[in-house]
Parts: sequence; structure tokens; C-alpha cells
Amino acid sequence: MLAPTMTAPARGARTQGAICIRDVVKVYDPDRAAIMAVDHCTLDIAAGEICMIVGPSGCGKTTLLNAIAGFHSITSGEIHLDGELLCGPSKPLADPGPDRIVVFQNGALFPWKTNLENVAFGVVMQGKMRKKEAYEKARAMMADAGLSGTEHNYPGEVSSGLRRRVEIVRALMNDPKVLLFDEPYRALDSLTKSVMHEALLEIYYKNNVTIFFITHDLEEAIFLGHRLVIMTSRPCRPKLILDVDIPHPRDYSVLTTPRFRELMDQTIEAVHEEARKSFEAGEREG
Amino acid sequence: MFREHAASMQSPPSREAEQLIVRLLKRTMPFQVISESMLQSVAGVSRPFSYRAGEVIYRAGDKADDVYVVVSGAVEHLLSETPTTVERNRVMHSGDVYGWAAVLGQDKRVRLATATCVETAEVIRINGAALIERLNEDPATAKVVMSRFATMITREFGAPAAAAQIAAPDPSRPDAPAAAPRPQGQATGLALTMFRMSRWLRSPKPLLMLLGFALFLGFWYLSVEVWKLPRFREMPGLTVVFKEWFSKNPTYGLSFYTPEYYEHIWVSVRRVGIAFFLATALGVPLGLFLGWSRTFREYVFPVFEMLRPIPVLAWVPLAILMFSGSETPVIFLTFLASFFATALNTMLGVESIDESYTRAADCLGASKMQVFRHVIVPGAMPYIFTGLQISVGVAWFSLVAAEMVSGQFGLGYVINTSYTMVRYPTIVIGMITLGAVGYVTSAMVRVVGDYMMQWRVRELALGGR
Amino acid sequence: MSTARRFFFHRSTLRALISILVFVALWEVGARSKQWFGFAVPWVGNIPAPTAVLHVWIGLLGDPGYWQSWYLSLLRVLAGFLTAMVIGIPLGLLMAVSRNFNDTFFPTFEMLRPIPPLAWVPASIIFWPTQELSITFVTFLGAFFTVVINVLGGAKSIDVRYFQSAQAMGASKWDTFRRIVLPATVPSIVVGSAVGMGITWNVVVAAEMISGGGGQAGGSGGGLGYFIWNSYVGGAYEQIVVGMISIGIAGYICSELLRMLGGYLTPWLRTR
Repeated sequence: MLAPTMTAPARGARTQGAICIRDVVKVYDPDRAAIMAVDHCTLDIAAGEICMIVGPSGCGKTTLLNAIAGFHSITSGEIHLDGELLCGPSKPLADPGPDRIVVFQNGALFPWKTNLENVAFGVVMQGKMRKKEAYEKARAMMADAGLSGTEHNYPGEVSSGLRRRVEIVRALMNDPKVLLFDEPYRALDSLTKSVMHEALLEIYYKNNVTIFFITHDLEEAIFLGHRLVIMTSRPCRPKLILDVDIPHPRDYSVLTTPRFRELMDQTIEAVHEEARKSFEAGEREG
Repeated sequence: MFREHAASMQSPPSREAEQLIVRLLKRTMPFQVISESMLQSVAGVSRPFSYRAGEVIYRAGDKADDVYVVVSGAVEHLLSETPTTVERNRVMHSGDVYGWAAVLGQDKRVRLATATCVETAEVIRINGAALIERLNEDPATAKVVMSRFATMITREFGAPAAAAQIAAPDPSRPDAPAAAPRPQGQATGLALTMFRMSRWLRSPKPLLMLLGFALFLGFWYLSVEVWKLPRFREMPGLTVVFKEWFSKNPTYGLSFYTPEYYEHIWVSVRRVGIAFFLATALGVPLGLFLGWSRTFREYVFPVFEMLRPIPVLAWVPLAILMFSGSETPVIFLTFLASFFATALNTMLGVESIDESYTRAADCLGASKMQVFRHVIVPGAMPYIFTGLQISVGVAWFSLVAAEMVSGQFGLGYVINTSYTMVRYPTIVIGMITLGAVGYVTSAMVRVVGDYMMQWRVRELALGGR
Repeated sequence: MSTARRFFFHRSTLRALISILVFVALWEVGARSKQWFGFAVPWVGNIPAPTAVLHVWIGLLGDPGYWQSWYLSLLRVLAGFLTAMVIGIPLGLLMAVSRNFNDTFFPTFEMLRPIPPLAWVPASIIFWPTQELSITFVTFLGAFFTVVINVLGGAKSIDVRYFQSAQAMGASKWDTFRRIVLPATVPSIVVGSAVGMGITWNVVVAAEMISGGGGQAGGSGGGLGYFIWNSYVGGAYEQIVVGMISIGIAGYICSELLRMLGGYLTPWLRTR
């Protein structure tokens, strides 16, 4: 699927987009129920890295993402982006901005705007470009991602896999430092997913942007990531960090390699244990 | 390359046609994954066909031989009788695959659906048995293709929400012939409407509808004028009403030919128009703010909720006291009910907007006002128009009541005075006119809504209804 | 309940109280402006002040005639509403189950639906022998169309997979209807009846006013709508507002009861 000329950039080839998470704690409802979602989480993500966050459902991964994106405040700790403070004790809530763009679980393309208008939305809103210019650039970027011909369709008219790609292009249009993925392919079937994974890598090889990717699909995590961070079930904290030493560029043939199976085996136990804990906790609550 | 295999294969496609078929198959969901050489081999057992609009490609119950891939045009796929009255249909365009029954086990090769050409279509037919034979040359690939077929069947044909083609145009082949977007979206919509219309005309539905009307009108005529049943004979009869309505010289002074008739209609329409305009102009902004700002809602909504349970008609005497004259109270009453319906639905509309839309807009650097303008307002639009539909309905409801109690003109006034002056046929003329005018106004609101929400119309059209 | 929630609860309740108090205060000042400042505020200046209304209301609480109005209106609402349910629900289900029945009668139904219920008042008075029956009939019509449309919509939007799984488990036609169509339609019946109840009150009040206002059958009609109209004609303006508030309260109580009943009938929709 990939053009043979494509080469994988070295990890961290980019200088922008390093995330530094220091001792972050998030407690919901601190006065009464005090549910701890994130517990002293420390994690460094290099610029241009694909960092896969794996953990059972509801473990608090999304809370961490929301803190980086600026949707939720944190209770203590600090998060830096390229040395600049996003949120910390003096400023518990980060400002959402076009340097960190979220790709949402169920997709958040505006259904009332055409794909082209969606892609151009960010730069037009920020006043960075005039509408005409923005549309031209958006058209070029969509063509680049193989989305020509769908510019004037509404998102509801195209397949769900295509929608995800438009959403990623919409994010890239703003030249972000970091892309934050919140289980974007959860609702897709495994076949569409496999196509989406290769498309995502293709985009990554072109743009080399830092990717913070939440998932609970191990195969997806190992296939895409430079590094895997397996989280404990609530409260969430890194339990195991694993380097995926399969060289980039990857395509679907790596799924059948022995190394891939080995990595799967290494992670599956850790993940299963956490999933079981989280399930039992859920049983008690319910 | 091409081997003579299946018996049903008459003329093998030309070399160029074969290349086109390969490129097309590459874009379809089941064949996306298979290798170029295998595609060549599959192309060998394919034959191009074209159908005219309205032609039936196959019917439910037919023997299933071929799998179909749409090259251009549109084909409607209609699953036969389900246990309820629900119809499952889906319109397929370039790149969509259907007719998968042909790849099932020998004994199951029967069509479960009916496929009809909606718009002149070119399709490729692939012999199912030959296809399986080719695929089996590489069992691993065959498994993938078959599992993709299975996914496609359950998802695309089971759940209409997941319609739309799965395969994105291949990025490496932007020049692929059928990679063009669904061409002429508008024309497709029109052709589809025409097609549905003609199908409706051919079904027993119009006859049954006429039967329903005939039963209703017949009962009215017979019970009042022929059998003269007790109570019924007091009522104005069917022929009396229509004679009066179409009479150039009506006994009771109101018919198609009298200017007074139109004057009454105009007065009522004008009142509803003013009230509806005011209710929309005030209710939509109020609803948007109620939904948008929590503080505003907490202060204003309780008063709103306190006044809402009071029926509009209970305001009549108060309206007469508050506003002088006879016109303003009527318009005020008509306005009131519309206003509550519009504001409430708009508020619900804002609340219904998924949080991720506002978050996405925040991420993309939109300011608070921009979020309001580009996310809140369009996001609430479907609910706003539902509200406006209700609003028109309740406007007519309260207008009639207000005109009956206090009014000098208008259709409600006609109905009430015709009763007191014992002009019974005119009552029915007034009622029918009211129904017709009310229907037209609410249809107008629906048309405007569709026009303003193209995205929704197109989305729903794809869902198969 | 957590402190945070209680805090929010408190804050919103407080704000609700403030806004209602401000509303009543503005009304009081506006209504008494003539008497206090010598000029009448437009619109509000012509209506009785809340304190005066309260005074009259307290006086009315011991008046059996006032409670008689409550009783009569409630009775009519119940009669019209129940008739609409009894006829509307089976009709809606029948339309949903039988395609031919639906194709025959739905267009006629749709043709009659846009006629506002109150336009039927004179025809209804002509047709029915007593005024009571004619009011009930118009009330019935108000709720009837809404109930049928909701039942039909609810039954038609049932997920086909339910039918398929029922068939797979060997359910007969009757079983499918009894175990799937009926329960799956209950939520839309609840919604439809809530809307229908609102319309019912509107229609009852209007019908009572029209038949009273039109000078028909004198005071024998009664009911809260008639109470309001009679107060207007008699110049007892405070009583108009008492009547309005009473109808508001009565309508609210009916809707709440219906909501509770609906919650009881659809336990699977309750949120944890």
C-alpha cells in the first residue's frame, strides 16, 4: 500500500511537540466522593513520537487527554508543551488551542458544514487566512490525503472511515504540534480500521507530528506506536512502558511477524490484569 | 492471463475493459484487499451490463448467479417483506457491491431482495460460482474477501445508518474512471423522487387512499342525507356543503365566488403571520440564550416554566384587559402559544448538541462568539424547525379559539357566527378551509427548513428514507 | 447526594426564587403604578396586582362554587383524555401492524388532522344532544390525533432486529405483538399522552369559555374556563387571574401524575 520511496523519519526528528507530564493528579468531586481518576502520572513524550496509551475502559486515560487539550482542570501536577506550561498549580485549566487538536471518539466534524468548510474551519476562525485562500489550501490538503471529490459532500454523506480522515486533515490544516486521538477508531469494524491505520501512518510519515493516541485495542497500539504506555485501572498511572522496536515505515505485513506476536504476548498479560481489576470494580459499583 | 472457465461466460471483456474493472474492484470494500493478479483473474469472469431507469435487475426469490458492482448511475436495493411494515431500502452508487446471495452455499443462492435501476446504470456482473473458484486459488485471500462480504452484508444491508460506500477513492489513482464523486447529487435526488413517486403510483397505496376517502365521504353522505340517522340528520350534508361552497350565489353568503371568503382567509393568515413572525423573532434568540448560558437559564427559565402550564385560552380576558381594541388581543393570544413552543424547542436543541462539537471548535481556535454562530446556531437548527412546526400548529389552534371568543373577522369568527346565525353549511366550509390553510402554512415551514438544512436532507436521503 | 451537587441545587433553587420574586414584584409595581405614581404602565397597568389576587383567592378557598369548577373541569379532562387513549392507542397499533389498514385510513386521518379541534365546537354542539357530551367530544379530538400519531410513530420505529430475534426464538405473530410491539410502543404512548394532556386542558378551557361566552346553556356549564369568563363578564378581574393560576396548577398536577405513571410503566428507561 505504501509507496516504496517513503522513508520513516527518525523518532524525534521534529523539534516541536514534546509533552512533559509531571505528577499529574485529577480528583473528581474533591469534597465528597473524591473519585481519583489520575494518580501521580508522570510521562515524557518526545517531539514527533507516536505514543499509544492503553488501558481498560473508564480508567482515566481520557481525563489525561482532556487535561492536555484544556477541557478539564487538573488537581495538582504540571503539564508542559515544549517547555511552556499548559497547566499547573497556578493555572489548573489549560487553554484549548490549535497547537493541540483532538480527534474525537465519535468524530466531531460539523455535520452542517461540507467537508471542505470543515477542513478550512480552524484557519478561518483564527483569522489566519482569508476564506478563499483557506479553501484553496484545504482543497490541496484533501487531495493530498486522497479525499478529492468529497469536498462538497456533507460529512453525513460519506462513509465513517472517510469521515475520520477528513477530521485528521482538518486538524493538520492548523499545523498543530500535537494530535490527541481519543479512541477514534473504536466504532469502526476491524476491516475499516486496518485501512484507517495505514492511512494514519501515511499521514504521519508526511507530517511527523507528535501523536498521543488512546486506545484499548492492543493490535492497534503495537501496529501504530513507537511506544506503548499501559495504564493501571482507575486511578490511572503508567504501569508498563514498552518500546516497539519494529522499524517504520510499517504496513499490515508486520502483523504476522514473530516480533509482533512477541510484543503482543508481553503486553497482553499486563493489560488483561488491569482489565479484570477494572471490570471487578465496575461490578461492585453497579 | 485470461482463462476460459465458467460456462455462463459468453464474451470475455476486452483488455481495456478488464483494466477498468480491476481499478473499480480495487475501490470496493470486499475486493480492496486482494492482489492485482487475482483481480485480473476476477475481472476475467466479469461482464459489463447497463440498465435503464426503472428496469428491475432482479427480484426477491429469483435464482442468484451473479454478484453486482455499480460502475455508474444508481440502483435501489429493497429487502423484501420484513416482519413489520418497515421497509429496508438503500440506494447504491458507483463502487457499491450487491447481490451477495450468489456467493452463498449452493442451496442458498436465492435473491432476498429486489434490485431496481433508479438512474441509468452501468454495472459489472461477476459470476458467483466462478468467483468462488478463482478466489479459492488463494485460500487466505478468499477468507478475507468472504469475511468482508459478511461484514458488508450485516452492516450495510442490516443497518441503514451505516450506509454509504465504505471504500474511499484510492489515493494513488486519482484518475480512476469511477473515482469521481457521486456525480450530480441534485439530479440523483430528483431521479430518486421520481422513481419513488412512480413506484407509489404502481403500488396499491393510491387506490387504498381513495377507498379511505370514499368510505369517509360516503358515510357522511349516507348517514346525513340518505339514511337520515338520528343526530346525523341535524348536520349539514355533504352535497349541501359542496353545493354551497361552489355556488355563485350562495344561500348563506360564503363561497368560492364571494370576496368575503377570501377576506376572512386573509385576515386569519395575516394574524397568524404576524404572531408567528413575532414568536420566532423573540422565541429563537431567547431559546438559544436559555440553552447556551446556564446562569441565564437559571434566572429566566423558572418564570417561563411558571407561565407555561396556563392554557393560552385562559389568557383571553386578561389579553382583552391588557390590550385595547380587538385586533391586538387576538394576535397576542396567537403569539403566546407559538412563543412558548419555539423557545422551548430551541433551548432543547441547544442542549442536544454534542459536547464534542463545541470542544472541537475550541480546539480549532474559535472564539466564544464564533462557537455560538458556527456551532450552537446550526446545531440547534433541527430542533428549532421542529419547534416552528409545532408553533404554526398551535398558532392556528389559538387563533381559532381567540377569533371565536372575540373577533370581527377571520375563519374562527366565521365558524362561530355561522353557528349562532344557523348557517350550518358555512361551518363546514370554514372548517375545511382552516384545515387546508393550516396544512399549507406548516408545509411552507417544512420546505424552508429543508432548504436551510441541506446537510440534513442529504444525510437522511442516504439513510434510505 | 454530594456537597457539590447540593451546592448547585441550592444555587439554582435560589436563582429560581429570585427570578420569581422579581417577576411578582414587577407585576405588583406595574399593576399599582396608577395608584402609587399616578400614571399607568402600559399593559401591566390594566391588570390586577398579585396581592389583590391573593386576597381574593383566599376568600375563594372556602367557596364551594370555586371547587365545583375544579371538579367539573377535571371530570371533562379525564373523560376526553381517557376516551382518546381508549380509541387512539388501538387505532395507532392497528395502523402500525396492518399495512392495508394504514394505507386506507391514514390519508383520511391526515386530512382531518390539520383542522384545529376548536373549529369542531359548533359542529359538535349541533351533533351531540347535551353540552357536556359536545365539550367532551372536542376534548377527545384534541388528544386523539396526538396519541395516534405518537403510537404509530413509536411502533414503526421499532428496531427490526427485535422482530428477527423474536422470530428466531419461535415467537408467533401474536407473541411478537404482545411481547415486542406493545412494550416497545409504551414510551411513545407516554410521550403522546403527556402532549395530549396539555392539549386537553387547552381545549377544555376554550370549550368552556366558548360555550359560556356564546351564551349557551347559561351557568349550568361551569368549569374553570367558565369561571374565568364569568369573572370577566362580571368585572371581577382578580378572579380571572385566580382562575388562570388554578388551571395552571391543575394542568401541572395532571402532567406530573402522568409522568409518574409513565415512569412506572417504563422501568427500563429509568436511569441509574
